[in-house]
Amino acid sequence: MKKFINIFTTASFLVVIFALSIAFFLMPDKEFSSEENRSLQAFPETEFGNIADGTFTKEMNVYFADQFVARDEFVGLKGMVASVLGCGENNGVLLGKNEQLAVRLFDTYKNRFEKTSSTDFYYSENLKDSLEKFNEYAKSETLPLITLFPPRTVDVVGEDLIYPNENGISLSEEIKSSVCEESGYIDLLPIFQKENEKGNYVYYKTDHHWTSEGAYIAYTEIMKKWGMEEKIIPKDSFKVEQISDFYGTTWSKAGMKFVPSDILEIWSLGNQEDFITTCYSVVRQKDENGKMIKAKKPYKTFSGYLNREYLTEKNKYAAFLDGTHNEQTVFLKSGEKRERLLVMKDSFADSLVPFLAQHFDLVIINLANNNTNVTEYAKEYNCDRVLFVYNFENLTENNILDNVK
Amino acid sequence: MVFSSLIFLFAFLPLTLILYYITPSRSIRNTVLFVMSLIFYAWGEPVYISLMLLSILEAYICGLFIAKYSDSNKKKAKFFMILSVCLNLVSLLFFKYCNFFIENLRLIPVFSGTPLIKNLVLPIGISFYTFQIISYTIDLYWKRTQVQKNFVAFGTYVALFPQLIAGPIVRYRDVDDQIIERKETLELFTNGVKRFIIGLSKKIILGDTAAAIYEYCRSSMEFENTTLAAWMVMIFYTLHIYFDFSGYSDMAIGLGKMFGFRFLENFNFPYISASITEFWRRWHMSLSSWFKEYVYIPLGGNRKGLLKQYRNIAMVWLLTGFWHGASWNFIFWGAYFGAILMLEKTFILKLLVKIPKVFRHIYALLLIGFGWIIFAFTDLSEIKNVFKAIFGIGVDSFSTAVINYQFLISLPFLAIAAIAATPFPKMLYSKLCAVFNNKSEGITKIFGGLFQVITAIIWILLLVICVAYMVDSTFSPFLYFNF
Repeated sequence: MKKFINIFTTASFLVVIFALSIAFFLMPDKEFSSEENRSLQAFPETEFGNIADGTFTKEMNVYFADQFVARDEFVGLKGMVASVLGCGENNGVLLGKNEQLAVRLFDTYKNRFEKTSSTDFYYSENLKDSLEKFNEYAKSETLPLITLFPPRTVDVVGEDLIYPNENGISLSEEIKSSVCEESGYIDLLPIFQKENEKGNYVYYKTDHHWTSEGAYIAYTEIMKKWGMEEKIIPKDSFKVEQISDFYGTTWSKAGMKFVPSDILEIWSLGNQEDFITTCYSVVRQKDENGKMIKAKKPYKTFSGYLNREYLTEKNKYAAFLDGTHNEQTVFLKSGEKRERLLVMKDSFADSLVPFLAQHFDLVIINLANNNTNVTEYAKEYNCDRVLFVYNFENLTENNILDNVK
Repeated sequence: MVFSSLIFLFAFLPLTLILYYITPSRSIRNTVLFVMSLIFYAWGEPVYISLMLLSILEAYICGLFIAKYSDSNKKKAKFFMILSVCLNLVSLLFFKYCNFFIENLRLIPVFSGTPLIKNLVLPIGISFYTFQIISYTIDLYWKRTQVQKNFVAFGTYVALFPQLIAGPIVRYRDVDDQIIERKETLELFTNGVKRFIIGLSKKIILGDTAAAIYEYCRSSMEFENTTLAAWMVMIFYTLHIYFDFSGYSDMAIGLGKMFGFRFLENFNFPYISASITEFWRRWHMSLSSWFKEYVYIPLGGNRKGLLKQYRNIAMVWLLTGFWHGASWNFIFWGAYFGAILMLEKTFILKLLVKIPKVFRHIYALLLIGFGWIIFAFTDLSEIKNVFKAIFGIGVDSFSTAVINYQFLISLPFLAIAAIAATPFPKMLYSKLCAVFNNKSEGITKIFGGLFQVITAIIWILLLVICVAYMVDSTFSPFLYFNF
């Protein structure tokens, strides 16, 4: 018996390590992980310099992990074990009532170059400093300005979690008390919290964004603030298309594969084909005098403001505005001119577009790459209004707002 | 390479096992191990492998001379012994401590301009393999072991990948016969597999989880200085370092067994100690016995009067601390334990026997925990801050709702980890094995078989869970790399 068990144990061990290593070598390499929304490490280059300075082995380690067999299944197993061990928490993601997921731990910036490890605290001094600089800009802005700082899921769905989100509350209070009147700040948190308590689906359960319903609420608040209340399009005028099987970024991070998917809704009005979206990139080129100048080039145009191809993929939220681009415009195809709205944004704004595009020509600038010169963009595109959309997470994670002018 | 990486477990280990076991002869098997160990080392240190090879070569040659002169010319033998030890210590001092010395020298105004040596990085495992080499040289000189004339065999001893980068520090004389003559058996291999899985689980499931909680509490103190967070920093670092390091030793011992080696134990449930004296008999035993044997006893040990004994204890503990890293906190850490050990010798041990056992354990655990605070932070002001917070001095509050929450959700893990740090699981397992193994008959026999199969499945399940953790984290470097 003892011998049998020895053989059994040893054989199982060898089978596990050999089977997985053989499978690893047989499986074709993947280039992209939709689960993690990033490119995977390819087999590193075997050059002498590469090997001598240790790059080869480092990349090899990453390659092995990235291309590992059944990577997603293993991540799921870890998520299950760890969330049991951690009372419903894994990788800094909370599991709440009704299978609501919410990221709890975030990076926070200490200074320009250094991020701290994940924590649920934030550097209050840095935040105040950023907002002060933002206020300076807001006071100097001559166009009508509205600022939205969308709260994070953990702030909105606090009711559904056992986690005491006192830092989130103080963050929200601090923002509210720090931003100036001129910024046109709308405090969305209490509105969303109330909606969530009522059982309305304003933030996704598996993704960090607001739902189309949440975006609609934000849209109505914008319109009210700009005194265009009577122009608000009623909810029931929209045609709602439901896309099931949406597993968002929070779900991937949590590794809790037992959590069911969200429904992503596309709200539309009229004909998509009436709109045209153009994406621009900035290239460096020589002008007629041979001087290097920056020039703008459109590199992608499509009808409407959706890329429906994403609806069949994992990253469904990227259907709005075709995901992340640096600079985009959404105009009417007919060429008819309407009021021009400059949107300085992060990805939360993407799902606002179906509503805003009904009223405005949109110039959409992604803040992520330090595109912060509002005045220049407003002048270049002849904008009439400015909207800022930048969520709490981004606010505490970087200091991009410092440079807005 | 580290044991808890996918590339080790699913490329290096299978390949090494195949090459090793398809090789028929012992001496070629050693060559396989030697070459694979060099690849293992070069994986993390493609440049400094030359330094390790030089150290091996130097000790090998000096060893030949020591053996040659050991009977005929004591003086010459001594010369080669001292030469080899010094060369090893010089390389250790240079690579590990040089910049530390310069930094401190620069505090003196006259030397403030002394430049640091740029790009000087600590070669992985240097603290471990130099100590192994020294044990060979000195034991050879003391005639406690035979000279090794086979370079590959000697190289295999030093570079053997299971213990190369984080111990245990294997004395040459403990394995000299195993290098030449060892027997790989199925039973030994199976024990090795189990031991490896235990170590991997300790490191990955328990050690890394404790590390994450510790990291969280530590960074929380930067925002909200609370007493509870400081206690959690201490508790979870205490758990983290034990599971990380003893897990690594378990893996090393387990891997050794897979190749027919029997290494000495490195940990013996240190946290059940009832005094610091006992703790140091149970923690990193291979290091303590190395210092005892090659420093404490040669200095005279306890044979030359109480005063000299205290001097020797002080020396050993300052060196032990310093061995752990080129930073003042490690020196203070060594001094801290040296002082406690002297005090225990003088009177505390006599007092301890008079108090109930539970208080002895609290006493020992607290002192161990305080020690880890000194050990954990190279920034002395951070040490001070955590100590103050532990005693409620200068804190913002005792705790906050968020820290309370973190504490509460960590409780189940804390309970599991605390039990895992005691001999209880091992005892339970052995008891059950004994019950079912005693040539039982009838119904017990069936249960016995069932029990065995279930445990075998649990081993594999643990392995799979560890792999899942490894895939999830992609990479988690070992703490004991830097020492």
